[in-house]
Amino acid sequence: MQSISAVLWPPLLGAVSIAALGGYLPKRWVGVWASLLILVSFALGVGEVGHLASLAPAARAWSETLFPFVTGFGPAVPWQLFLDPLSGVWLLVITGVGFLIHVYSIGYMGEDPGEARYFAFLNFFIFAMLLLVLAGNLVVLLIGWALVGLASYFLIGFWYERPSAVAAAKKAFVMNTLGDVGILLGLVLLYLRYHTVSYPGLFAAFSHAPVGSPFFEWTAFLLYVGAMAKSAQFPLHMWLADAMEGPTPVSALIHAATMVTAGVYLMVRIYPLLHLAPAIQGLIGDIGAFTAIFAASIAFFQQDIKKVLAYSTLSQLGYMFLGVGVGALAAGVFHFLTHAFFKALLFLAAGSVIHALGGEQDLGRMGGLGSKLPWTMAAFLVGCLAIAGIPPFSGYFSKEAILGQAFNQGHWVLWGVGVLTAGMTAFYMFRAFFLTFTGPVRDAHLHAHAHEAPGVMTVPVVLLAVLAILGGALAEPLDRWLGPTFAAWPGASSAGLQEGPLFTTVLTVGLAVVGAVVAWRLYGVRHLEAKAGIDRAPGRWMLAAWGMDTAWSWAVVEPLKATGEYLRAVVEPAVLGAVGRLGQGVLGWAEDLRPLESGYVRRYGLSILVGVGALLAYYLIRV
Amino acid sequence: MVWALLLVPLGMSGVIWLLPRGAAKAGALVGSLATLAVWVAVLAAGGLPSLDWPWIGDWGIDFHLGVDGLSLFLLGLTAVLTAAAILASPARRGRAYFFWILFLEFASIGLFLALNLFVFYIFWEAVLVPIFFLLTTEPGPRGRAAALKWLIMNLVGSLFMLVGIVAAAVYHAEATGTYSFEIGVLAHTTWPVGAVGWMMAAFLIAFAIKAPLWPLHGWMPEAYGEAPAPVTALLAGVLSKAGVYGLLRVFLPLFGPALGPIRTLLLTWAVVDLVYGALMALRQRDVKMVAAYASMSHLGMIALGIFSLTQAGVLGATFQMVAHGVMMGGLFVILGWLEETLGTRDLSQLGGYNRHLPRLSAYFLFFALAVLGLPGLPGFVGEYLILQGLVTNAVGYAVVAVIVLVVAAWYMLRLFQGAMQGPPKPPPTGSDLRSWQLAFALPLALLVLLLGVWPASITSRAAPTLYQAVGLVAGRGGVH
Repeated sequence: MQSISAVLWPPLLGAVSIAALGGYLPKRWVGVWASLLILVSFALGVGEVGHLASLAPAARAWSETLFPFVTGFGPAVPWQLFLDPLSGVWLLVITGVGFLIHVYSIGYMGEDPGEARYFAFLNFFIFAMLLLVLAGNLVVLLIGWALVGLASYFLIGFWYERPSAVAAAKKAFVMNTLGDVGILLGLVLLYLRYHTVSYPGLFAAFSHAPVGSPFFEWTAFLLYVGAMAKSAQFPLHMWLADAMEGPTPVSALIHAATMVTAGVYLMVRIYPLLHLAPAIQGLIGDIGAFTAIFAASIAFFQQDIKKVLAYSTLSQLGYMFLGVGVGALAAGVFHFLTHAFFKALLFLAAGSVIHALGGEQDLGRMGGLGSKLPWTMAAFLVGCLAIAGIPPFSGYFSKEAILGQAFNQGHWVLWGVGVLTAGMTAFYMFRAFFLTFTGPVRDAHLHAHAHEAPGVMTVPVVLLAVLAILGGALAEPLDRWLGPTFAAWPGASSAGLQEGPLFTTVLTVGLAVVGAVVAWRLYGVRHLEAKAGIDRAPGRWMLAAWGMDTAWSWAVVEPLKATGEYLRAVVEPAVLGAVGRLGQGVLGWAEDLRPLESGYVRRYGLSILVGVGALLAYYLIRV
Repeated sequence: MVWALLLVPLGMSGVIWLLPRGAAKAGALVGSLATLAVWVAVLAAGGLPSLDWPWIGDWGIDFHLGVDGLSLFLLGLTAVLTAAAILASPARRGRAYFFWILFLEFASIGLFLALNLFVFYIFWEAVLVPIFFLLTTEPGPRGRAAALKWLIMNLVGSLFMLVGIVAAAVYHAEATGTYSFEIGVLAHTTWPVGAVGWMMAAFLIAFAIKAPLWPLHGWMPEAYGEAPAPVTALLAGVLSKAGVYGLLRVFLPLFGPALGPIRTLLLTWAVVDLVYGALMALRQRDVKMVAAYASMSHLGMIALGIFSLTQAGVLGATFQMVAHGVMMGGLFVILGWLEETLGTRDLSQLGGYNRHLPRLSAYFLFFALAVLGLPGLPGFVGEYLILQGLVTNAVGYAVVAVIVLVVAAWYMLRLFQGAMQGPPKPPPTGSDLRSWQLAFALPLALLVLLLGVWPASITSRAAPTLYQAVGLVAGRGGVH
């Protein structure tokens, strides 16, 4: 039987080998080598999940301890891995979608002088992300958690000579550190009480614990802070929009399909704890729903095609958290799965557009590209239909699963917000679609030079399009796959997929169609400009993301900087000055003692004599 | 074995003078590597060697040295960092420079080995001298001023400690009839109620100056700024540990039972240092000062672990001393090379050199990430253990500490990005890292990585005798 850790090594090998030797490898081979390793990892992952599937449903959990991490203050915390159906889903998506995006990157980054660096980072990301989802305890999870943040930092700031990219990378890292320390504090509290941070150990302890004690509310909240930062939940969401500074395949892989869903993974993973903290579970659902509609509103009038997609990711992550908040775990995971397909598809299609236009991302300079990029247009359309929740595309099934269950559980407000957001989603996605592919050519020069991407980029896009169309069919198998895991957890009785009443489906799809039609009327028929609506409230506010950046800056960043500046300019000189005055005092005594150092050798001789005499006397007396 | 640890660096420091000027660096390197080899032998032997020679028996002064869980890895840190500092020093530095570096290694090792307060005091004073002369390596008045400040402030601290030491021996004699300077003996002495307060203060002042901890860090900015980079690396890497080591070796054993009432005060002091250092680091314009105040902030974190009076906290502090030593040592040397290559350490004039100095940049980022506590690297482990200790009985301080970790990410990235990234600058006159520089950076980076991935290599070996040494065993102080 192979070990769980096997999947980790190919991407790590790739990262190290490319970092060390990348400059010496012939161009192109770097990307091929990196992609091959991810393919190997995917194959190993399929083998491991297959092994899991061959076990009895109740026995599908596989632990592996590598070696002790830290010891000496209580029970040891080991390097420990854990594979169960839940982490299996992530394992396959990370390596599978990851592989497609690697292949796409061979074409997308082929001309970039930093290609080797890019693939080293990308492989490193896959390694870190696998470590995160395969971790067997919270310490190992946190290490993976921080390392994906580091990979994200590297890749957001990939073009490190661009000040906006550098600033975005720093913002992403620091905001995610806030999440990291939340998890850190949560896990030390759990260790303090239970002397373990491994999932099986904690779950065993949780099974007898009382619901709703402050300890659980606090620890759940701290872990949720980590999830909030990583999955860009309000108010820790701004870094994700800025993260679009990275190359577009990175946005597809890290900032849409995989890394930003780590928060969803963590919340589902520790659901036995969440169940003990009903207030926090409620908060997760509320903030999820709010993030969904809030981000959707910001996406309305964005001018940059990637920003539209970034805010749509925020919004869809909100749906996933909404699902977790109402206990619809399988639905949340299902939406992660379909989202990984259609959002990766949307980003890669957008990447093909950007590639075709030589790096242009401004919707105001696109238009009429459908004739030049027919495949890309078709792919983007599939993505739009999927994310808008139009049946029978995959997004429809997973979104319905979440909203239906919210309705069934009686969460009317969350349900209503989710339904409304579905309509908004259709509007802003189709706005981007019509502005890009239809209507008048807004920049003749760009349009003239546009060309369809090479096969190495098109094939992954087509494969993802197929998955985005058919992904809905995975509902039933996924539910069966995850069911036994959830069934073993107390409080997860309604975790499986459920159908909502017919009218919620009709309403949601109806609103989505209305949204799409409005977008079509405005941008497909009347050919409004991308800038339409942004010169007055509320459009101006929506474009400016409701001023959250400014709010953070005023409330946190500037006060800290000002305090530091005050310490540096005022307090520190005073402290050092006080020490200096003490020094002056010492010099004053020294002045008094100066006569002793007369410079006369005979006096020194005398003092030496006295000293030696005293020592001799001591020894003589002693004997 | 213990003798060899002391005598190899001392002997080689003498040999330096017999070598031709050009061979001084090679000689010093051999000396430091030989010391390292002795330390590795101690580690591999698995025992905890010690020696105890009667010296001035009537006063309870023994020449008592020993290795235990507290000192074992600090000795290793001293050996590694001395070798690294010599590697990182240009060969053009004269014999005196390398002599003083080896002498510093001898004195530091003596300090970490001492188990008798009298011996401890002698080595405590002995480390002042080499640093004083090393600070004046570069000619000019600024180095001399920094050296004088270092000497005077530390001498004042030492005087306080001397009073504390003598008082301890005298009160012990009053209580038992015999004098003793043995730490292990004094740990069981009950101090007079009227004296314990000022005795503690005397030791605290000495240790806080050496570390340094706020507000007794007056010597730090100039000394760190003026010293050649490898010497700054030794100052921040090894010497700063002397102060916090004193807290563990002397302060906790002697005063542990009396600390209950003032624990909150001590924790608050540590947290003030932690926050102050971090906020200062956030706004510095000189790259070396960013690292200097970052180091000061980290010492506050270590002090928090110590004053948590828990096993996890003390273990974390001990681990963090070693981790901080290698990370900060590496960072200061890299910053020194940066200054050499670019001719400035002013952040407002730096930026955009990544493209010209990719290797320097990569190592710079690596050490910066280690310092900011990236999980997977050793800074994280120390912080994790210290927090594990703090949440036992001081959750509020743990909350402040984790917020400072966020600030740490901010100031370190501001430093790295400000120096290396952004719009490109014309190529510098200096070159990227050469192979002799890589011979320093790569092994040290690998060591950092090893400590980050496998901290149990230290903690499993250090823990049992560490708790013994600081008097944190079941039944005395908190256990966790």
